[in-house]
Amino acid sequence: MSDFVIETKKLTKIYGEQTAVSSVDIHVKPGRIYGLLGRNGAGKTTIMKMILGLTPITSGEVDVFGQNIKGHEKRIYPRIGAIIETPGFYPNLTGTENLEIFAKLRGTPRPNAVKNALEVVGLPYRDKKLFSKYSLGMKQRLGIANAILHDPELLILDEPTNGLDPIGIAEVRNFIKDLSVDRGKTILISSHILSEIALLADDIGIIDHGVLLEESSMEDLEKKNRKYIQLQVSDVPKASLILERQFHVTDYAVQDEHNLRLYDTALDMAAINKALVVQDVAVISSQICNDTLEDYFKQITGGEGIA
Amino acid sequence: MELNIYLLLALLIALLVIAYLLAKLHRVRGQLSLIKDALTDIKNGNLNRRVLARESDLTKQICYDINEIAMSSQSRLIQQKQSEQAYKRLMTSLSHDVKTPLASLVGYLEAVESKIVTGAEQEEYIRVATEKAHHLKDFVTALFEWVKLDAGEQIFHFEVCDLNELSRNIMADWVPLLENHNLSYEIEIPETEYMTRVDPTAYTRILNNLLQNILTHSDARQVSLTITETEQQAKIMVADNGKGISAADIPHIFERMYQCDHSRSAKGNGLGLSIAKELVSVHKGTITAASVPGAGTTFTIILPKAL
Repeated sequence: MSDFVIETKKLTKIYGEQTAVSSVDIHVKPGRIYGLLGRNGAGKTTIMKMILGLTPITSGEVDVFGQNIKGHEKRIYPRIGAIIETPGFYPNLTGTENLEIFAKLRGTPRPNAVKNALEVVGLPYRDKKLFSKYSLGMKQRLGIANAILHDPELLILDEPTNGLDPIGIAEVRNFIKDLSVDRGKTILISSHILSEIALLADDIGIIDHGVLLEESSMEDLEKKNRKYIQLQVSDVPKASLILERQFHVTDYAVQDEHNLRLYDTALDMAAINKALVVQDVAVISSQICNDTLEDYFKQITGGEGIA
Repeated sequence: MELNIYLLLALLIALLVIAYLLAKLHRVRGQLSLIKDALTDIKNGNLNRRVLARESDLTKQICYDINEIAMSSQSRLIQQKQSEQAYKRLMTSLSHDVKTPLASLVGYLEAVESKIVTGAEQEEYIRVATEKAHHLKDFVTALFEWVKLDAGEQIFHFEVCDLNELSRNIMADWVPLLENHNLSYEIEIPETEYMTRVDPTAYTRILNNLLQNILTHSDARQVSLTITETEQQAKIMVADNGKGISAADIPHIFERMYQCDHSRSAKGNGLGLSIAKELVSVHKGTITAASVPGAGTTFTIILPKAL
């Protein structure tokens, strides 16, 4: 098995004069949720469309499941489920009937596939309601049900929470997370909302004006997103005693024999340092880590920020 | 002449049949090649791979069966991975939860030993140190209990006893504690006898943990215990009128090490509720929580009657 489920190499899309996507290399690892983050018009949808063969590639390559998609479309695409923009369903059929058509066209991995898919997204099976009468949230859910109907290994979801209310967003987020955690699916998802991606993704790619600015795991990003004071001292028990008695600090954690982390960054560090030194605790270093993800994004997008 | 027409007709039909069979054969061959690919992929460890089949396919049942095998191994593998990860998380948070109180405990004791503090202050230090030591001891005890439960090593002693009598005895021990904390209480236990099979120690632990949880976290002024019983099951409700639990936290409160108060100064150890849940499930019962933030929380235990 290849290391990446999706790998793009210098993927580029030019519409006339305008470069929509410029030499993008993204790497989606198996079993993980990869979040493409960028403002509207940054090129997220175009990248997804090129991966899915919905729009021609100007230059560059796309490998899916370790194979170049060119010439292997028939083998690759049945293994992907996708929602790009608003999914096309027949308005005068019910949700179940719509899915049954797709099930017939594509084939299914097991009997009752339609019923299962509807259950996952929380829509009723064999309901009489026509698609045209569906609310936006229900339409979006049916779109996702359609994407998971054939139990694909890879899901490509373009802004799947668009137009949903906060409760709907939380529900969709939960079952996307479940698909990855409980069923081992690989998911490529796009969003223009930082907090959404932060809650969902394992890996993140930041797109701005068609350029991939950063690709990193959420874990690494979170390390850059901590707010605490790192205190390195000669005597941890004594230091913690002084902190508790003199400064009434309770929100702290001992890292090892010399390191403490204080989670209240508003503390008067000058006074603490002084008190420690006066009482024979050598302060080797004290350092405030006070970066937020938001600040970090501003920094890498050149001050404009995202979301 | 007539014979010729019949012959021609027969030939035509034969050709049609052959064409149909060839088409069918072609489809089956295509399917077989897909199945072969998928099997190689699955053999190489990609348990997410599915083979899609249409209703009319001859190979339908084979495809469904392959998928089912892949799916069930996949879910077993995922379960295994999840419990490994949970164990790792447990170890990390364990090391933090022990290190910090231990360091400050040492700090207090050293201060006393080196006579930095004297008189009333010294007594106060010893009191704080003792409190911390007790907290640590409770934590370690709870942790061991939890690990034993999780590993299935706990031995239970089920016996048929009167649930109402047992509950009354447990509450009798709690009354002075509740009064000490200025909590008013309401206890409704039927006067009748209700014989069922329980492990009395485990049952006591369940109620203790729920009540302790209220004491530590809820800031409630009132608690109530209500037991109602039918032929099939006993329903035990433990309610408080405290600050409640937010909707975002509710799904996670029975997870080990989960604490609603995300700061590190949180009291308690994050194990009480998950132990309670394990013990309830040993009795083949269920435990659920419902809460209105600001108005209180109700824990409901359902135990099936067993003799």
